[in-house]
Amino acid sequence: MNLWWCGAMKGKSSNMPCCFERESPALKQILLKLYHAEKPVEIDHHLYEFGSVEYYVQSSAADPHHSFLSVLTPLLSQGEIPSNGPLSPYTIQMVKDICSESAEVVEPAREGYQLTLKLNFSMIPKSKESEKVVRRIASVQAVIISSQLKEIFRGVDSHGTFQPIKLVYYPREPFYLIRQPQKITAVFPMRFKEHSDVVIATAFFQELMDVGSSAKWAKTPTCTWAPIPPPELRGESIEDLSTNGGFVSFDICSRHVEGKKLEKTVWTLLNFYAFVKNHIKCTRGLIQRRMQKRLESLVEVLHKGAMEEDNKVKRRRGGRYIRKLVSLSKFKTLKRRCSDIVNKIKRLRYRIKIHGFNRFRRRWLTLPKFSSSRGYSRLE
Amino acid sequence: MQASSLRLYLTCIRNTLEAAMCLQNFPCQEVERHNKPEVELKTSAELLLNPVLICRNEAERCLIETSINSLRLSLKVKQADELENILTKKFLRFLSIRAEAFQVLRRKPIQGYDISFLVTNYNCEEMQKQKLIDFIVQFMEDIDKEISDLKMSVNTRGRLVATEFLKQFL
Repeated sequence: MNLWWCGAMKGKSSNMPCCFERESPALKQILLKLYHAEKPVEIDHHLYEFGSVEYYVQSSAADPHHSFLSVLTPLLSQGEIPSNGPLSPYTIQMVKDICSESAEVVEPAREGYQLTLKLNFSMIPKSKESEKVVRRIASVQAVIISSQLKEIFRGVDSHGTFQPIKLVYYPREPFYLIRQPQKITAVFPMRFKEHSDVVIATAFFQELMDVGSSAKWAKTPTCTWAPIPPPELRGESIEDLSTNGGFVSFDICSRHVEGKKLEKTVWTLLNFYAFVKNHIKCTRGLIQRRMQKRLESLVEVLHKGAMEEDNKVKRRRGGRYIRKLVSLSKFKTLKRRCSDIVNKIKRLRYRIKIHGFNRFRRRWLTLPKFSSSRGYSRLE
Repeated sequence: MQASSLRLYLTCIRNTLEAAMCLQNFPCQEVERHNKPEVELKTSAELLLNPVLICRNEAERCLIETSINSLRLSLKVKQADELENILTKKFLRFLSIRAEAFQVLRRKPIQGYDISFLVTNYNCEEMQKQKLIDFIVQFMEDIDKEISDLKMSVNTRGRLVATEFLKQFL
């Protein structure tokens, strides 16, 4: 799952997410490089993302018009761990729809991969639309994942109630789809490592409920948060239902999945866990920044008082010091300063008393005396 | 009503500090050539004064312990809900870790309290007593204000993020 922010600054609340981009940025960069290359390029790249998604891009100078893209991605599974099984016909059809003429599904896929696409960059029109096409190809992994959920949501208007469907994308983070008359409820059990995360998340879920229940947002899916699991999940395993962040539910109706909204709804639900984690991370950053700023202002207040006191003392003493300097000659002033430094060093040394050190000090560590033009040094 | 009770609370603390902050140098009676804050050691009862506990309500209180050469002030800050609880803990822990910047702040609060100050006779010699008291009282006001601001920021951010999230469905 690709989590790339295109955030916008909004006053005090910075780093606000606008959307999660579907395309893989590394894959997009490689495909654009291939598309814009004037000469045939030899490419043999393996890309790994998030530890489980793998891309293999191959392009040969011998066949400049065609490149191959193979994809391996964990699928939404109904077991404990995500599976890397073959793709359903519906998923293959969804992939064909996004790629249109510029890509062709190769059957069978390359060994070790679920899908191999044969890309023909010469079929991509040379216009502003070219980047859009490349981005659609780079979002093939998102299409594969969303297609499974789309298949389930296509039957949202069916009558009757079915057993909850458990879907696992990230290990240990399953979510449930409960088919009910005229709607499908997506239930997300929320778990967090730290207690502070639980509190921040709970505050966020309550805001989500408040905002969602207002008249302005009546068209969005109804969102509810509860500390206990909904009654429909009572038969599920206790490990999956033990949480510290409660359960967030979204009621998806047919109006949320008609036309282009299906893509958005599916993508938003798939990214819900990542969205919440990112919000918690940004909130902690916000708290940290505020605390740092407040610390600086508090320390400034304390030091300001101390500095005012120092300045007053310095101003009082300043006059006497200047008078003393004026009366003495420059040479005598310098000599007096040097002798002060020497005395200070001597005092520092005398603090540490080592037996036999005095003789050593007198022999090797004495500072040279300043010679005077009037005096003379006796020759031995 | 709340503002007036806060004023009374702070005034009481200020008056107590003015009376208690009469500190003088006193070498340690237990170990020669040592000079320790007696309020921390509590070995000699004759050097300690009676501690004063000032309570604004059940949740907010201030403990002032005095000795001949040092004074310890411990504060318990109000925490209305879980969010204020974690924000208070985070913020005061943040300040306590950086106690050297404040000189009079204790790195670890006394048990049962959220933050503690330790003022010694040396601090009183280096800084003006009145300014020190003003700083402590101002600190208490600022803490309350900062926790409230932090809570509002977190809730405001949550609301904006929730709005952005729900826009995805439109």
